Amino acid sequence: MNEKKLQAKDFITIGIFTALLFVVEFACGMLGFIHPYIVASYVVMIPIVGSIPMMLFYTKIEKFGMLSIMSVLLAIIMFVTGMGYLGAPLIIAAGVIADLIAKSGGYKSFRETVISYGVFCLWICANYFPVVVSADSYRKNLIDVGYSVEYCDNLFRAINSKTIAVLLVLCFVFGCVGALIGKAIVKKHFEKAGIV
Amino acid sequence: MSLKLDPRTKLYMIFVVSAVVMMSATTPFLWAVRIIMIPIFLLIMEKHYAAAFRFLIFYGTALLLTFKFLSENSEGFLSAFLVGYCGIIVQFMPAMITAWYVVRTTKIGEFVCAMQKMHIPDGITISLAVVMRFFPTIKEEYTAIRDAMKMRGIMLGGGNAAGMIEYRLIPLLFSCVNIGDELSAAAVTRGLGGKVKRTSVQELKMKAADYLLMLLFTAVLVVFVVSKYIR
Repeated sequence: MNEKKLQAKDFITIGIFTALLFVVEFACGMLGFIHPYIVASYVVMIPIVGSIPMMLFYTKIEKFGMLSIMSVLLAIIMFVTGMGYLGAPLIIAAGVIADLIAKSGGYKSFRETVISYGVFCLWICANYFPVVVSADSYRKNLIDVGYSVEYCDNLFRAINSKTIAVLLVLCFVFGCVGALIGKAIVKKHFEKAGIV
Repeated sequence: MSLKLDPRTKLYMIFVVSAVVMMSATTPFLWAVRIIMIPIFLLIMEKHYAAAFRFLIFYGTALLLTFKFLSENSEGFLSAFLVGYCGIIVQFMPAMITAWYVVRTTKIGEFVCAMQKMHIPDGITISLAVVMRFFPTIKEEYTAIRDAMKMRGIMLGGGNAAGMIEYRLIPLLFSCVNIGDELSAAAVTRGLGGKVKRTSVQELKMKAADYLLMLLFTAVLVVFVVSKYIR
């Protein structure tokens, strides 16, 4: 298995973990409608919960391209479920950069994996993009659709062009924290069981 | 009689519906246009009566709630909660129903063949096919895990918050990894990833119904965009 090209087995692994990551994202996303501040706290929740499947995924990566393909798939799924196309370039960019960072660590180095996962987590911010880029029309849309003014005000207080930088940084930081937690959990469960 | 659509038509439908879902409807006319697009009639054609009925009731209720009881002035926790869920259902349900319809009625073979005809790289095709196939599996495994937890008498997290996630996610990951290994073994023995070009038993051909539906969906898209942005 020291060929450079991706094998069918790798593609199947990518598919499985993308599905798992999406399920995690979707489950967290459903909480967001309780209160807009929870929408902003996705940057904390999703990196930490998602780190468990992702760290297991990282142990299976050996070649360049697996993270990139995963980000393309995520972009497609986000589009299909109606999250918009504005974030797609950001998702794919985050995936490719994360892939490059992990590659520079040979896909095994602890430090590079943590940083790479932090960068990969930036895809979550892509979901905020419609809120930031088209703030006014988006707000009007939400009210038209039937969201309350209260919800909208809170949403835009939490997410706007000023806070997006903070959110991006938070996303990265909690991505790294999540990676550490995820690593520990993978060690606790999977290495003992001999799966990794 | 069941209507066999080309996967490419279905993908086009997904594309149009997702695009329209992102632009919110503001007038009753736009709402009507949008509701037409929901492929419930297609579900009925394919004999998924129960699902069609379920979606119809669900969507109808959400619509009714949104229009009858909720306005932009609603406040308080309960109504904010309701607004959130109804809003999301009304907004995204069409896309979800379409996606559900496509996933349920497209065979993986057909899907891969269609993607190949559109010259999508193999890597993305295979991975996407696995994703599509995997959602029902995850649901099944999750139900099994919940049953096992009930048998042991563990509710929610058994007392700690981190446990809530850990007790569910870890077994799920274990079974998914195992299923993945089996899946790739099965796929590789059947020649996936070989050097020869893949052939398909099914002949994919665009029929009159496909062109008709594509035309209908394009028309809907145009009507929607024109009446929202130009007038």
